[in-house]
Amino acid sequence: MRSIRRELLLWLLLGLVVAVAAAATGTYYQARREAKELFDYQLKQLALSVSNERISVLPHSHERELDDDLAIQVWDRNDKLLYSSSPELAIPRRPDPGYSNVATHRGRWRVFGIQARDKLVQVAQPLAVYEELAAAMAFRVVSPLLVILPLMGVLVWLTVRRGLRPLTSLSSAVRSRTAAALQPLPETGLPDEVKPLVVSLNDLLGRLGRAMAAQKGFIADAAHELRTPLTAVQLQLELARWATTPEERAAAFDDLQRGVSRATHLIAQLLTLARQEPGATNRPLEPIDLVETARLVVAEQAPFAADRHVDVGLSNAVESVVQGNPEALRVMLGNLVDNAIRYTPAGGRVDVAVTHADRHAVLTVRDTGPGIPAADRGRVFDRFFRGHELDVPGSGLGLAIVKGIADRHLARIELDSGLDGRGLCVTVTFPM
Amino acid sequence: MRLLLVEDDAMIGQSVHKGLRRFGWSVDWVRDGRAAELALQNEVYDGVLLDLGLPRVDGLDLLRAQRRKGNDIPVLVITARDAIEDRVEGLDVGADDYLVKPFHMEELAARIRALMRRRAGRVSPVIAIGELRLNPATREVTLADKPLPLSAREFALLSALADRPGAVLSRSQLEEKLYGWGEEVESNTVEVYIHMLRKKLGADFIKTVRGVGYMVAKSA
Repeated sequence: MRSIRRELLLWLLLGLVVAVAAAATGTYYQARREAKELFDYQLKQLALSVSNERISVLPHSHERELDDDLAIQVWDRNDKLLYSSSPELAIPRRPDPGYSNVATHRGRWRVFGIQARDKLVQVAQPLAVYEELAAAMAFRVVSPLLVILPLMGVLVWLTVRRGLRPLTSLSSAVRSRTAAALQPLPETGLPDEVKPLVVSLNDLLGRLGRAMAAQKGFIADAAHELRTPLTAVQLQLELARWATTPEERAAAFDDLQRGVSRATHLIAQLLTLARQEPGATNRPLEPIDLVETARLVVAEQAPFAADRHVDVGLSNAVESVVQGNPEALRVMLGNLVDNAIRYTPAGGRVDVAVTHADRHAVLTVRDTGPGIPAADRGRVFDRFFRGHELDVPGSGLGLAIVKGIADRHLARIELDSGLDGRGLCVTVTFPM
Repeated sequence: MRLLLVEDDAMIGQSVHKGLRRFGWSVDWVRDGRAAELALQNEVYDGVLLDLGLPRVDGLDLLRAQRRKGNDIPVLVITARDAIEDRVEGLDVGADDYLVKPFHMEELAARIRALMRRRAGRVSPVIAIGELRLNPATREVTLADKPLPLSAREFALLSALADRPGAVLSRSQLEEKLYGWGEEVESNTVEVYIHMLRKKLGADFIKTVRGVGYMVAKSA
């Protein structure tokens, strides 16, 4: 798992280490160059002083310098070694005077040669001395930094933890919640980096809360509405059990059958409604010819209309292709036509039409029924709202379903007076 | 006994209407609050079965208005609203009992009997007058511990009188208790049933108060 704290710590410390290493390296090279100049100068001074002395006094006059780290050689004109302070070192005679580096069995040495009248003086010093000095200087520069490094680590750790504390408290606040607790998280006192997260979380919580409330309301409504048909079935069943004559029993069972049908219809409508809820399906919309849908629905409903002596038909059909879900559109138009037929008295008429208006496809269903009073028109799309027409059976869900489907298709629904100023006219306007 | 059923749902209303008549009660059924208000204006009912979610006038408003007018008729609320607050509100507004849908007809009938019993101030479910025992729940009648078979109308007439011993009920009051709306009332039926009851119970059990009506003495 990625951890901001671990990553910050890792990269900050890595950066520090690189910085310290760079400082050390820089100091080392700088010190070595300076040491080289210094020691070269010393070598030269020593060579000059040796060249001015007699060979016999050399071991005594330079006793102090003649330790392991300094070698003096004196050669005569014929390349004969007159004197060597460290004979085992075997530094050859350099062809040219001046500075040069020589490899020996004791490592690389720095040699300075000078020609003085009849002899050649060579003074040598191990290069390791330079390097040791440079390393010592580099170490002196870096050592305080090395002490600071762990301190920096602790500081970084604490700062990051402090900086991330709002996130920690946020996550524990979220963790300690129950699934039902959707009140917003506190937005005050948050750093700028965390605030957008909390704000969008609260936004999500709000939307979730509203969706949950809608869902709860729906379930409560549904359970409540199911009581009515179930009560009827319960009572019809008791009456059927009490029936004493075959005729009474047959009538009671007919009633019972109707009661069960009503409950079944209500459940089917509830399921249809649930399927039309936003987010219930993610099936992509496809091009649908509304005329085709209207033909299908009218044909489906024709037997029901004939039973009730209502004349149902497609009065106007202009090809109109809209983006939609074919099943949903059929359910929607089916509900509208079914309603129209149900509420229209015998001898009445239901007209379905598909037309164009202003780059929109317009679907209308007109009937010669009682219509809906203007005062009720806003509420008829509410779930379980039923008008005053008590003798028309229904679940009170048909228009809620229609509204849900229209909303999903970005279509607008309007209610108006129907044919000849009587009845109801439902207009659904689709974008094309 | 005559009850007013206020229920907007056709299937439930029809079933309760049919079912309660099997208990020997006459039931009038109205389907909205306004019709219920009208029906309650003539005070012939022994009780009201009231659904709350009614068109036009809400059931609770109807009940509140009746209680404000001083109408003390027993009211049994029948509703799908089952939340505690709803029940409390219903009872506080003036309902005598509260029955949540779905319910059994038997329970409804038992609650109606209980309401009637309380209203008459009786404790025992069995009405006892002299040697007569009348059980409204089983509709069994005994006289001196012997079963007394009665027709539904005879039982209804006798229980109307026995329910309030000492009270005089007029012929039209008795007719109202025997017949619901739309039922043909033949002339002098009350006299016919009184005559048949007297044959079974003895001539003195039901007394005629001339020019007023009939009564059962408190201890015959």
